[in-house]
Amino acid sequence: MSTHTKMAAERKAPDGGTETDAAKRRRRSPTRVNPALYLFPLPAVAIIAFFLVMPTLQAFQYAITDWNGFSAAFNYVGLDNFVRAFTKDSLFTNALTNNLKFVLMVVIAQTAFSLVLALLLTKNSRGSILLRALFFFPTILSSVSVAFIWKFIYDPNFGLANAVLGGVGLEALQGSYLGNNAQALYWVAVTQVWFHAGQMMVVYIAGLQAIPRELYEAAEMDGAGKWQQFKSITWPFVAPATSIVVAYTTVQSFKAFDLILGIAGNPPKQSLDILSTRIYSTFANSEFGYAAAQSIIFMAMIALVTWLQRRLLRLTPKGE
Amino acid sequence: MSQISRRQAIAILGALGFGATAAACAGPGGTTAPGGAAGPAAPATGAVTGKVSFAHWRGEDKAVFDELIKRFAALHDGVDVAQDISTSNDYNAQGLQKVRGAAIGDAFATFRGAQFKNFTEAGIYTELKDSKAVGNYQPGLLSAGKSGDSQLGLPYQVVFPMPMANADLFDKAGAEIAPKDWDGFLAMCEKLAASGVIPISWPGGDVGNGGQLFNCMIANNAPVDDMCTQIEQGKLKCTDDWFIKMLNQYKELIPYLQPNATGTAVEPAQNLFSQGKAAMLATGSYHLAAVRGLGAKFPIELVFPNTSDGSGKYEGAYNATFILGVNSASKNQAAAAAWIDFLSEPENAGYYANQTAQHVTVDKVEYTNPDLKRLSPWLEKKTALAARFQFQNLDVRNAVEASATAVISGTSPEQAAEAAQKIVDERL
Repeated sequence: MSTHTKMAAERKAPDGGTETDAAKRRRRSPTRVNPALYLFPLPAVAIIAFFLVMPTLQAFQYAITDWNGFSAAFNYVGLDNFVRAFTKDSLFTNALTNNLKFVLMVVIAQTAFSLVLALLLTKNSRGSILLRALFFFPTILSSVSVAFIWKFIYDPNFGLANAVLGGVGLEALQGSYLGNNAQALYWVAVTQVWFHAGQMMVVYIAGLQAIPRELYEAAEMDGAGKWQQFKSITWPFVAPATSIVVAYTTVQSFKAFDLILGIAGNPPKQSLDILSTRIYSTFANSEFGYAAAQSIIFMAMIALVTWLQRRLLRLTPKGE
Repeated sequence: MSQISRRQAIAILGALGFGATAAACAGPGGTTAPGGAAGPAAPATGAVTGKVSFAHWRGEDKAVFDELIKRFAALHDGVDVAQDISTSNDYNAQGLQKVRGAAIGDAFATFRGAQFKNFTEAGIYTELKDSKAVGNYQPGLLSAGKSGDSQLGLPYQVVFPMPMANADLFDKAGAEIAPKDWDGFLAMCEKLAASGVIPISWPGGDVGNGGQLFNCMIANNAPVDDMCTQIEQGKLKCTDDWFIKMLNQYKELIPYLQPNATGTAVEPAQNLFSQGKAAMLATGSYHLAAVRGLGAKFPIELVFPNTSDGSGKYEGAYNATFILGVNSASKNQAAAAAWIDFLSEPENAGYYANQTAQHVTVDKVEYTNPDLKRLSPWLEKKTALAARFQFQNLDVRNAVEASATAVISGTSPEQAAEAAQKIVDERL
């Protein structure tokens, strides 16, 4: 090898040494790998393409048609379906409003409730472990079972809720629950919180158990009260868990389809109609194109809410 | 083996993605060809053999159909019928998608109204006009399965969507079981209430079952027989006087319904009736087997809430449903058609009817089930074909029926009617 060639082949390495030709090839040349390796992700790529990418793209296409779901004939209608959803369909806007209310109610109640549960049950005593198991139990049930259980709890004639109220002499508080349009959504929200709070409690307990005990001991020696300890030690440590809880709860609340259908029947009445049940009704009504447009709005809504929540809830431990 | 670069690999995956995109952009539509200008064809003929999928939603009838399948198989060597059963809600929502292409449903059933229309438009039915089965039915009860000149489906069941009555409680209260007019109906409810029972158990929390009362309430109020079709078309309105009058009559029912009726699901409503706490169950004769199953021992009659002043056109309401059809995409139409023919024979229809406590539209059926025998005179009465199934748009149907529920929960009839009409107007 000539001096020039050798010099060209070598260059100054970051640590002051020189790179070999092999090292240079590794860095600059396209990576050469056995093509058989690329066969491994193919099944996953195919599955994602056929069951996720393709249906999503198809949904975008159908959303600009008036296709009824079975006819060979259809027309492209541009953005009419999207305009219709927001301007000429009070059932859709009603479902959208209900869904946002439901998400807000559940996120606030479930986050607060699961945090309180976790704070009360962090200690590993026998009683705490039993109670944790009890609160976690609903999570293992299917949402349809939960819906049926609560449908009968709320029943005004044979339900547990009215029976208990009657048993303790509070007949005046007995009610129709799901039959009362002004209240029905709140009662379903209660069910949703009962269903998932135990799961979120576990997330919080994991966060709480990671807090070094020394911090509390030091705080007590400094005379900090319980509230100050929570504010200055507990909350900064569990804040990241809150981000997880809020994100999970938001998605769960948007997806409360099976719970709503189980508890309210199909179709649910207007006061219990949320976006997913509305989309289902639109599909069932043979308005495939319009339902596809509603699905895209729904997808955009979840993306927007999740993004907003991530922007607004950047909860990280202090110092990070 | 030659090696490929990362760029080449990405290019290949990109091409795959592009292919998927291109595939996605293929037009919607399916493989089922509509009937075309010549109209639907009769089912193919041939040997009655092989597998037949029978798609329907009546899981409660499975055992009865199993027995009928055994009898059918005994008549034809090598034929087997498999039941593909969905829940009624799923079948209503997804039946068309399931049956088109005939992966299931060589023979199938549909609901009357919107579902029958959708199946018809999708070209899924074959023409049964000249089939052996048609001759077995009461001609007047076949209209729900017609489309133009074609007899695409055979409505199999006759149900009476009218309140069922505990005759013992009526006797005890001295209440008239066949009121001639609206005042008579309210007086009857008053007597029942005075005797210490709930006059009417109504599942207002269940949209489907709660809505059946609507068939009775609208029958003698509406100015025309196709009132729901005309509401959907905008020719009649929920804000019209006759509709508001009907909602006011709903309002008059409030004292006679169980407390918090709008929150009551169908099972508790059935229980109130079966346990003798309520004198009527405002769903329909299709719940006969269910209430017997819950232990009801009393004689059951039907009551028509006659909303007229005594000059009403109708004495009751009925529905012809569970419309049987043969799939045009089926590869085994001969056996599917033979199965439908078999079900349509009086002996087999009679077995189905008596075992399931459902009247059938097949002629010359002998009813041995005591409930069916008692209620059989209703087959001869002047009854209105259930109006709520005229709606083709389920959103419109639910909105219009919800106006009645809203009135029961305290909304004024005028407000409830306006809310319903708003949704109808949006769907015009």
